[in-house]
Amino acid sequence: MSPEMLAYPFLFIAIFFESFILVTLLSKPARAARERSAAGMGDTALPSVAVIVPCYNEAATVAATCDSLLALEYPKDKLEIIFVNDGSTDATASVMARYAEHPQVRIIHKENGGKHTALNAGIAATQAELIGCLDADSFVEPDALSEIIPCFVGAEVAAVTAAMSVHNPKSILEHMQNAEYLFGIAYRHTFASVNSLYVTPGPFSFYRRDVVEALGGFRHGHQTEDMEMALRLQQEGYGIENAPRARVYTKVPTTIATLVKQRTRWVTGFLRNILGEYRSLIGNRGRGALGMLVLPSAIISVGSGILLFFLMLYTLLHSTLTAIQIRTGIPLSYTLLPHGSFDWFYFPANFLLVLSMSTLLVSFIFIMVGKRVSKTPGKLALGLVSYTFLYGFISPLWLMRATTDFAFGKQRSWKS
Amino acid sequence: MSLVTRNALIALGITIALTGTVAYAINYLNQARVTELSAIEDQLALDTLSLDTQFSLLEAAPCESAASSTTLTDKLADLGNRLSYTEDQFGSDNPQVIRLKEQYSLLEIRDYLITKQLAKACHTKPMIVLYFYSNGTDCSDCDKAGYALSYLRNTYPTLRVYSFDYNLDLGALQTLIAITKVKDSLPAFVIDGKTSYGFTSLTDLEKQFPKGSLPLTTATSTPKP
Repeated sequence: MSPEMLAYPFLFIAIFFESFILVTLLSKPARAARERSAAGMGDTALPSVAVIVPCYNEAATVAATCDSLLALEYPKDKLEIIFVNDGSTDATASVMARYAEHPQVRIIHKENGGKHTALNAGIAATQAELIGCLDADSFVEPDALSEIIPCFVGAEVAAVTAAMSVHNPKSILEHMQNAEYLFGIAYRHTFASVNSLYVTPGPFSFYRRDVVEALGGFRHGHQTEDMEMALRLQQEGYGIENAPRARVYTKVPTTIATLVKQRTRWVTGFLRNILGEYRSLIGNRGRGALGMLVLPSAIISVGSGILLFFLMLYTLLHSTLTAIQIRTGIPLSYTLLPHGSFDWFYFPANFLLVLSMSTLLVSFIFIMVGKRVSKTPGKLALGLVSYTFLYGFISPLWLMRATTDFAFGKQRSWKS
Repeated sequence: MSLVTRNALIALGITIALTGTVAYAINYLNQARVTELSAIEDQLALDTLSLDTQFSLLEAAPCESAASSTTLTDKLADLGNRLSYTEDQFGSDNPQVIRLKEQYSLLEIRDYLITKQLAKACHTKPMIVLYFYSNGTDCSDCDKAGYALSYLRNTYPTLRVYSFDYNLDLGALQTLIAITKVKDSLPAFVIDGKTSYGFTSLTDLEKQFPKGSLPLTTATSTPKP
C-alpha cells in the first residue's frame, strides 16, 4: 500500500464536510439569517447592553478599543461599557482613567485572576439584559451591535457571535490569518443556522445575562473560557446564533512563534473541554449537526492535519533525496535545467492531487463567501496565496504541540 | 427528515459524485495516454516497415535511407519518454504498460538492427549502447544509471542508447539477451560490443567508451523508457 492511500479517507471526509457546509449555507435557515435586518426595531424595543472589556496589560490598544465602542450606533442610555483591569502591571490603568468621567464607561480594578474572573466581575457589576465581551485588542464597526441584537430572536438563543477579521493585515502571516478568519465567518454563519457553534469568541460575542448567571458565570475552561461557555450553553440546550455582518477586527500574532503559542492554547483547550467535561456531546443525536458532524469532524481534523503533514513531508523528502541521489555526479549544467516538453500528455493529474486541489478550491470559495457575507473590505489575493502555501506547513506545528500537551497533561501559561 | 439529515445525505451524494467524477476523469486521461502511445507505436511500426522496405529498395545506395532512420530514432526517443512517464503513473506491473513496453522493445530492436545494417552498408561506426535495467528491487542503481545515460545522450547527440527491461517476457528480447550473453546482474551495459555490469559513477561509465567515440555532433538517440 502506498503512503498516499492513507490520505484518501481524510480527503473524503474533508470533501463531505465542505459539501455539508455548502449545502447548509444555501439552505433556508442560513438564507433567512442573511436576510435578517435590524430595521424595524424601535429604540424602545432595544434591550439594555453592557460590553465588558477584560484587560491585562493592554495599554497599547485599550484606548482604540474604547473609542470604537463609544462610536457604536446604539442608544446611549442603553449601552454601558465596563473595563475590567485584571491586575495589569503596565499603563493600562492610566489609559483607562482617561475615560473614567464618560457617562457610559465604568472601570473596575481587581487582582489578577484570569480572563474568566474579569468577565465575571463585569457581569456582577451590571443589570443589563445582554452582556457582550470584547478583547482589548479588538475594534468594532459602528453598526456591529445593531447587527447583533436582532439575532436574539427567540428565548432559546442565549448567545450571538460576530464576524471577525484581521485588523489592517500587513505581513504575509497576517494576510494568511485574515483568509482563515474570513473562512471562519462563512462556517460560523453556516453552523449557526443548524445550531452547531461551539465557540463564542472573545471579540464581540453577546450573551443573555440571566442565562450566564444561571449557569454560574464564566469558568477557566482550560484557558478557553469562550469555548467552555459555548459548550456549556449547547449542553444545556440553548441556541447560539451568528450575526455575519457584525464586523469586528482583531489584532493577530505577527510571528510564527506567537501564532503557534496562541493556537496551541486554542486546540489544547478544545481537546481538554471536548474530550473531558463535554464528551457527551460527541456523537449525541439529540445535538443534531453539532454532535453528529461538527464536533467529530473537528476532532478528526486535528489528527488528519498531523497525518497529512507527515505524509506531505515524507513524500517531499523522499522525492528530494531520490532526485539528489540520482543526480549525484552529473554536471549541474544538465541537472538544473528542465528536460522534456510541454504537452497535455505530461499533465501531472492524479487522484490525490485533484482531490486535494478540489478541497483547496472549495476553501477559497468559503473565504470569498465569508468576505461577501460579512461585507469585509480589503483585498484577498495575498490572503489566498499565503493561505495556500503557508497554512499547511504552520498549522501542523500547533496541532502537534497541542496534541502532545493534551496527551501528557502539560500546562502552559497564557503567553507561553 | 430533518434539515441536517437531508443536508448530510445531499453532501454525501455530492462527495461520492465528486470523487467518482475525479476517478473517472483520471482514468479517462490515463486511457487517453495509452491510446496516444498505441497510436505512436502503430505509426512507428509502419515507419519501421517503411524504412525496412526503403532499405531493400535502395540496395544500390542504402545510405539514402539514413535520414529516415534518424527521424525514426527521434520518434522512438519521444515514445520512450512518454512510456517512461506512463509507467510512473500506472506502475510497472500494469498490463497495459507491459504490453506497450513489449511493443516499444520490439521497435527498439528493429531500429537497432537497421542502424547496424546502415552502419555496415555506409561504412560508419555509430556508438551504440544496449542498456539492460530492471524496475524491481534487484537493481538499486538502475535509476542512477538511466539518468547518467540520459545525460550522455543529451551531451553526445550521436550516441544511440537502447534501453531494455531485462525481465520483460518477450521472445525477441530474450534472444537479444542470449546473443549478447548479458547476465541478470543489473544494470548491464553493452558498449561497443563489450559487456559491463553495475554503475558507480558517470566518470566510470564514460571510461567504458572507446576514446574519441563520443563526438559532439548531430542528434540521433533513443531514451530509456
